Order: sequence, then C-alpha cells, then structure tokens
Amino acid sequence: MIQLPESRTSRIQVTVLVALAMVLTAVLCSLPFLQFSSQIYVKRSPNTFVGDEKYEAAREEVAAKLEEYRAQGIDGAIDEQVIERVNSKNEKTSLVIFTINAANNRNGWAVLTAGLPASGVLITALALGILAWVFTLVSLLKTGGGNTKNAFGIASFVCALASFFLIPVVTLQLNLNLSRSVDLYLAGEEVKGIESLLPALDRFLFGGEAGEQLDTMLGALKYSILPAVMLLLIPAFMTICASVTACRKPLKKTLLRVLLYVSVIGFSLFILYPFFVMFITAFRSNAETTDMHFLHILPTEWRFSNLGDTLDRGVLRYLINSLLIAGGATGIAMLCGIPAAYAMARMNFRGRKIYLGFVIMSQMFSPVVLLVGISRLMNTLHMNDTLMGLMFINAAFNQAFAIWLLRGTFVSISSEMEQAACIDGCSVLGAMIRILLPMAAPGIVTTLIFVFINAWNEYTVSTVLISTTTNRPITVGITQFSSFNMIEWQYLFAAALLATIPVVILFMLIEKHLAAGLTAGGVKG
Amino acid sequence: MRSVFVRHRWEPYLWILPSVLLMLIFVVFPIGIVFRLAFSNISRAGVVGDFVGLKNFQDAVSSPAFPQVMLNTLIWVVSVVGLSTLIGFICAMVLNQPFVGRKVARSIMVFPWAASLVIQASVWNYIIKMEYGNLNNILLNLGFLQDPVNWRVSYQVEFIWECAIGIIVTIPFVTFTVLSGLQSIDAAYYEAATVDGAGFWNKLRHVTLPLVKPSLTVSTVLNIIYVFNSFPIIYTITKGAPANKTDTMVTYLYMLAFYDQRKGPATALSVIGFVILCIASGIYMLVTMRKEDGIL
Repeated sequence: MIQLPESRTSRIQVTVLVALAMVLTAVLCSLPFLQFSSQIYVKRSPNTFVGDEKYEAAREEVAAKLEEYRAQGIDGAIDEQVIERVNSKNEKTSLVIFTINAANNRNGWAVLTAGLPASGVLITALALGILAWVFTLVSLLKTGGGNTKNAFGIASFVCALASFFLIPVVTLQLNLNLSRSVDLYLAGEEVKGIESLLPALDRFLFGGEAGEQLDTMLGALKYSILPAVMLLLIPAFMTICASVTACRKPLKKTLLRVLLYVSVIGFSLFILYPFFVMFITAFRSNAETTDMHFLHILPTEWRFSNLGDTLDRGVLRYLINSLLIAGGATGIAMLCGIPAAYAMARMNFRGRKIYLGFVIMSQMFSPVVLLVGISRLMNTLHMNDTLMGLMFINAAFNQAFAIWLLRGTFVSISSEMEQAACIDGCSVLGAMIRILLPMAAPGIVTTLIFVFINAWNEYTVSTVLISTTTNRPITVGITQFSSFNMIEWQYLFAAALLATIPVVILFMLIEKHLAAGLTAGGVKG
Repeated sequence: MRSVFVRHRWEPYLWILPSVLLMLIFVVFPIGIVFRLAFSNISRAGVVGDFVGLKNFQDAVSSPAFPQVMLNTLIWVVSVVGLSTLIGFICAMVLNQPFVGRKVARSIMVFPWAASLVIQASVWNYIIKMEYGNLNNILLNLGFLQDPVNWRVSYQVEFIWECAIGIIVTIPFVTFTVLSGLQSIDAAYYEAATVDGAGFWNKLRHVTLPLVKPSLTVSTVLNIIYVFNSFPIIYTITKGAPANKTDTMVTYLYMLAFYDQRKGPATALSVIGFVILCIASGIYMLVTMRKEDGIL
C-alpha cells in the first residue's frame, strides 16, 4: 500500500467530505420536509353497523369519490370513524363517518420558494453552506491541505457553524408560522405580519386555491414536520469538519475536537435549561404561565414588575431572614471553627484522634434524620420559631466541614513564622490573628462562603422549626406561591431567581478551592 | 515542634471547647433525644411515656408502606449515586482537557450544586407539567411533538423523574471532586504510558483510575450519605404521593412525624436510618483516617 503524505490525505478527505455534504444536502432537500393532510370529503352514514349492507354501500361510494379525486391528481386516504351509542330504548345505534384526507408533502425546494419566514432562514442557511464549501475548497487550493491558518479557512468555518445553528431555526419557524400564528389568528388574536403570511400559506399549502375558504381549511389542517429538516444537520456537520481539516488538523483530531465541543455545549445547555426556564417564567404574566395556547418560548411581554411584586409580597422579608440566618450561622461556625481547626493543625494533645474521628463522623449527620430530636431540643431551649435557633443548627451541622476545610488550609501553611513570633514574646492568639489568619485568607473565605451557602439553601429544618410567616427564610417562603389550588409560577420563580443569583455567583468564586479541600482535606505532604 | 504553641496542658482543650460545645448541644443532644423517644411510648400530643422496648420499631416495620419505602430508598440511593458518579466522572475527564471556554463550562457546571434543591425541584416540577409545562412547550414549538405528552402518567414515572433530577443535581459534586483528583496527576505518568504505547483505554485503566481512586471513594461515600438524606426533591414533586408509593425513608419519616403525628414509629425509623448512616460514615472514616495516618 502506498503511504500518502499527510497533506495529500487531508486533501482527499476534505474533497470527499465536501462532495458528500453537497450530495446529501441535495438529496435531503428533495425529501419531504412537511406532511399535511386536509379533509376534502366527509360522508356520514347513520344507523350503520360495520360489515352490514349499508356500510358496504357507503364505503363503495367513498372509494369511488377517492378515485375521482385521484383522476384529478389529488392523492388521499380514507379514514373511518365508528361511533356507537346505546339510546334511551336500550338499543344499540351506530354512526360511521368516512372522511377523505388529502395527504400532501412539501419538500425542501418548495419551502425555499414559499415566501414564508422559514424560507428566508432556509435560504440563508443554504447560502452559508455553499459559501462554506467554496471557501473550504479555495483554502485547500491555497494551502494544499497544509497545517496553516488562513482567512478563507476561518471564513469557511464561521459560515459552516452559522449554517449548522440555523437549521433548528428552520423547524422552529415552520412550526411557528403553521401552528402558533394560525391558531392565534383563528382564535381571533392579533398576529403580527398575518397579512403577508396568509396568502403565502395559501400558496404553499393549497396551491393558492383556498381563497375564501382559507380559514376553514386552515382550521382542519393537520401537519407534521418530518425528520428530513433536522437531518440537514449531518451535511452541515460534515462541512464544519471539512473546513477545519482543510486548514488545521488531521480529520481524526478534528472529529474528536468537534465531538468535544458539541458534547460540552450540549451538556451545558442541558444544565442551564432549568435555570433558563426559571428566568423566562419569572417574567411571564400569570395567564402565560398556565396556558399552553399562549406559550411562546420567550415571554410575549417581559414583566419585570414581577420582581418588585414578589418583594412586596413578603419576599423581601424572607431574603433578609435568610441573610440573617446564613450570616449568623457563618459567624458562629467560624468563631468556633477557627480555634478548633488551629488546635488540630498546630497542637498535639491527648484525645486528638478521638476528636478528629468525632468531627469526621458528625460531618455525616444530616439534620433531616434528627428532625424530631431537633424540634424537641429547640422547644426546651425556647428557640423554636426563631432565627436564632436556625443560626445555631446551621452552624452546628456545618461545623465539621468548616473545621475540616480550615484545618487543611492551616496545615498547608508553614508554622515557622508563628513560632518565631511566639519566641519573640507574642501570644499564641496574637500569632494566629496577626500572622496565620492573613496568610490563610483564601481558605477562610472559601469556608465562609461554603457555610453561608449551605445555610442559605437549608430547607428541611426551617419547615419544621418556623411557624410564623415573618420568620421564614426564602427557601420556605417561596412555597407560599404554590398553595394547593393555585400556583403563581411567575412569582415563585421571580423569588427563586432572587434567591439563586447571589449563591451561584458566590459559589463560582470558591468552586476551585472547595473541590480540592473536600477530597484532600487539604492534607499535603 | 508543636509544643511551641502549647504552654499549659489544658490549653488545646480550651481551643476546641467552643466547637465541642456547639456540636454537643445541637448535634449530639438531638441524637440522644431521638434514641430516647424511639424506645418510649409517645402520645399523640407528644407527651413522652414509659420505656416500651422495640414496640415503635415493630410499628414502623410492620406498616404496609414500609417495604415499598425501603425499596424506593434503595433504588433512589443506588441509581442516583451510581449514575451521577459515572456521568460526573466523564464530565471531569472532559473538563480536564484544555479547550476554549473551559472556564465558562466549569462555571456553568457549578449551577446545580449552588442553587437550592427546593428551587431546582420546583422548576423541574413546572417543566414536566403536562398542560403548560416548559418541556412540552419547547418540544411543541420545535415541531417534535404534535400534542402535549403527559410526562408523569404514573407514580413509577414520577419516581424516575425524581431520580433523574437527583442525578442532575448530584453530578457537579462528583465532577469537581474527581476533577481536583485528576488535576493533581503528574503529566509524566501519561508521557511514560504513551512511550510504552498505551492507548486511551489502557491509560484510563492503568493510570487515571488508580490515581483518582481516593477522590472517587470520598465523593462516593459522601454522596451516599447526602443522597440518602436528600429530602426536598421528593417532597416538592410528589410529597410521597400516592399513598407513600414514591416516598424514601427520609420523606416518609418526616410525614410520619409531622403530618400523622406518629412520633414513635418516626423516631424508630430515624434510628434505623441513623444506623445505616453510621455504617456508611464508619467506612468513610476508615478511608480518611488511613490516608491521614500515612501522612502525619
């Protein structure tokens, strides 16, 4: 076998990829994109039972009608529906309804020339694809498939990428024009641009023959978008690979790279999806959150006033409560945790091992299992239904983590400076405050934020301990918008948004230190 | 060397005293109360009576819902921990590769870890509603569906949703713990393996897995404990309905204690859960302490 030089291999690969993408695009565009059926004939046959004479006669009549249509060049299928009832005299009656549904397909070329908004998007996508092919081939000619970046290569990549992402937009547009706009129009709502859309739909779907009857025909329209549209993603993907291979990397590496990006983007979108839903729903009107009929992907009207409304309805108080609880818990946890972590890191004493074991064990105790005990304890301490009680509980249950994280930070800092200070007559406490704490600031901040977030997000204990509405933290407070018979989703999510944004930002700041601290306990050799 | 910081023998104990007090009062005390209640007769009004031995345990175990609840707990813990560990591991491998936008991807990964579980559960609860849920909305808008799909036809399906949501919110924790393990691996190991002609799978088996095993163990054990204790997802989405069919142990004992006011069986369940947790923590402690011994 002849070993080809790398540049030549990639030249062949690129040419093959581009050619395949072209052929595939052409084939896919000739396949049906859209299938729809409309009723063109209805025959009702009362007092008819399946299999009897009347039924056969009606059936033949309908079949003859279908032949008539076929002669005119309209293809269709017969649908029959049997409705059986028992009447007041306890006799069985039956009604058979025959309908002829004209099945129609529209392929990609038809969509291109239809003059719908979707056509515009499809034209752009195709044009970008063609540009990408041209640029790829030009860059191939210029560099001979070498390992060099060039303007044409980059341009082809950008074009291919853009056309890739336009393809889902085509489906979206087809669907929006066909179902949402028409539904709204038929329901008597105002729809933007309907004046130009209706004649375009008439031409596209009914060959311009619907005329006066357009409303009725649109009302009975049933359609589905076929997978051929989405399959266009494959040639677009091949174009992306070709454009990268042409000027940068061997095909295998390119494929792995593209796969990496596609999976990372896909997974990120998946992770962000619920947060996206929370965000958009927070700004919808109440009618929009509970009625599919009006649902566009984005709110039709952004109601930023929802945020203010939730604040007025008690959420401001809950946020302040949460802030107090989380702040207090963090303060207590740090005040108790820093000395303990310091002793663990710097001092040797009898029972140290036992204490360490106790700390690690208590890390495992979740307040949920101990709820009954906690609520009784709080009764005895008269801290039931107070913010103070929640502060202590949150501090206690985060204490182990705090000590664990802090100890790790302290251990990783050499004790020499403090020792020198101690010998110079500084007290141990003074040495810790003046020397160790400033050096350990990143670790302390990480611990601080972690405890704060845990306390902020705490839900279960608060539901049990807090009974006064004005003492609720935000996690419990948002549930007031989801009462049993009515859920005000927009307020629920507006409050959720306010509760989520700060913690997510805080968490991003410490994510890097936290992960290392949790596993290693910061223990370094 | 350590003695520099210790002037009196009692001094270290003074330093740890506040944290010991805090945990003693608010962690150890409730444990004691729960144990006492579990073996006592408790009236509906909450008055604690005499020692009744294992009666509460009998009540708890013999209730018709108990087998289903235990089965659910098992499915919940095994599926959530298993799948989130697998997916989280893959995510960590991907995030360990250099690529444009890695920082952004890492920040996005933080979201489910940082946001409160009640809030996330509420959002998913909205997403999978049939009549107006966002999943149906988006799929209808994109043309993948003609008619709305009922995403929660039965309690089994709802429980699967709950497990799936549990998995999604647990993935980041695994990803970041494994990632911190991966980043501490010396690149020299991989270079040596490449020289020896090892492919991707061989490197994964013989270099990566043994070296991230400690992080993986810690994250798995911690996860078992967190997931076992996880309450808001199930409580928000189904509240254990219908008839405790989707309850796990934690939500079940909450319902028993605070809705049905049957504190006796509830505390007995607490003790059972507590024992299960102690076994898990014991394993965790052994693993961590062994690591500790090797270094100190």
